[in-house]
Amino acid sequence: MNSIASITNMAQPPMTTLAGRSSDKTGKPAEKILIRNLDFYYGDNRALKSVNVPLYDRRVSAFIGPSGCGKSTLLRVLNRIYSLYPHQRAEGEVLLDNGNILDPGQDLNLLRARIGMVFQKPTPFPMSIYENIAFGVRLFERLARAEIDARVESALRRAAIWDEVKDKLEANGLSLSGGQQQRLCIAGTVALRPEVILLDEPCSALDPISTAKIEELIDELKDDYTIVIVTHNMQQAARVSDYTAFMYLGELVEFDTTGKMFTTPGDRRTQDYITGRFG
Amino acid sequence: MSLSVTATVVGLGWLVLILGSLVFEGVSGVSLAVFTEMTPPPGADGGLLNPIVGSLMLTVLAVLIGTPIGIMAGTYMAEYGKYATLTVVVRFINDILLSAPSIVVGLFVYEILVAPLGHFSGWAGGVALALIVIPVVLRTTEDMLSLVPKELRESATALGLPLARVIRHVSYRAARAGIITGVLLAIARISGETAPLLFTALNNQFFSTNLNAPISSLPVVIFQFALSPYADWQKLAWIGALIITFAVLALSITARALSASGKSS
Repeated sequence: MNSIASITNMAQPPMTTLAGRSSDKTGKPAEKILIRNLDFYYGDNRALKSVNVPLYDRRVSAFIGPSGCGKSTLLRVLNRIYSLYPHQRAEGEVLLDNGNILDPGQDLNLLRARIGMVFQKPTPFPMSIYENIAFGVRLFERLARAEIDARVESALRRAAIWDEVKDKLEANGLSLSGGQQQRLCIAGTVALRPEVILLDEPCSALDPISTAKIEELIDELKDDYTIVIVTHNMQQAARVSDYTAFMYLGELVEFDTTGKMFTTPGDRRTQDYITGRFG
Repeated sequence: MSLSVTATVVGLGWLVLILGSLVFEGVSGVSLAVFTEMTPPPGADGGLLNPIVGSLMLTVLAVLIGTPIGIMAGTYMAEYGKYATLTVVVRFINDILLSAPSIVVGLFVYEILVAPLGHFSGWAGGVALALIVIPVVLRTTEDMLSLVPKELRESATALGLPLARVIRHVSYRAARAGIITGVLLAIARISGETAPLLFTALNNQFFSTNLNAPISSLPVVIFQFALSPYADWQKLAWIGALIITFAVLALSITARALSASGKSS
């Protein structure tokens, strides 16, 4: 049984679009984020080991690997959310447009406005659907009511949830279904107009239909945003990403275009993982 | 099984007896006069207006002083100093304070606010009750904020919100019902406290809203009237006890309803 072939088959439609996209673009896309020699520690436990990887501008990069391989940890470094917790620290360099975000002088709130993040579990805030989007916007910009209304609408449209919520913007965000809540969270992130969007297993708590909607959404968002997604689901990585990184035991084993990673991976471990021999 | 059922029945039985006798003795005397007239001298007609007003004032004062301190300290412990040594120390001391006999609190306030000033006062009573409110509110605030899922805090932080805003807009909102419940339970707790008031607010036979002077309160009046040899005073004590019990009952029910609605939303 040839599982590589079966996975490639499953991923066929997006792969063709990917091929179409890259053929009409010349050269490599720009590096939005460059990770250099990144080590990460939970106390004394070294969770990331000298990771080096570029994340390309307006492309989707997927991180795959077995549980505990450090892929979510890597994501949590990119917007410094780990800084909430003492005993967690990162060493090395993470260059966002050539500025090192691990710099102690980095303004974390500004950084997080530039690099948005959506979590595994949908986390709408305990307030109305409208407020879920608006309150983040108000924090960074002084806008008239009408402008905020417009921003809320465009974010909700962007996150493909406008039609479902436009008649109940005052309803509590928690009253939505899981898939809707997740798209609401994406809308909240998009509304702040970040440059990079981090998605930490955004579909693992969702049903297949909601998952398909989110994947469609990712495909649309990549025209404007650099997207980094962590996923357990290899088919999902194959479907939505342009680049894929395979991580194992805190190391970045391999990074390449998604097409290459899923057809002719260079490393034995990548091949074993993709074909389901471990993980 | 049969043992625990028996124990439950015996335990609840006493409670029913207490409530029953309270209603039996008290309810016949409840009239408009209770709420509009002052405590009478023995043998005369009267009501409980001054202790009711006094109790309300003392409770409001205690809540005004105790709630902000309790909530802010609880916020520090759950949000800012979650991993700080200070938090561990404060939590330990707070647990002691939570179970400290209230008469100790009364004596303490007597020493700092009554003896030096030379007179009993409503302020001292309010402070004594506030000292009982603080540990209750602090504990519930810390617990309720700790129950707010860390994902919620992380996703608010990921939007670029400074911690103070995360707390104000997200944590407090998520924990609101629980924190209000804590305040209500603290009110329920202090509304029956007698010991801390004996040394601080004392009592006042006359209607007074002056917090610089001794002020009347329901628990102290009940204490005094119930011990008296006069039948009409004893009757008023029963009525006062009934009022407090039902006020506390109403508060507890409100608190229950609030925490239930907080969980479901």
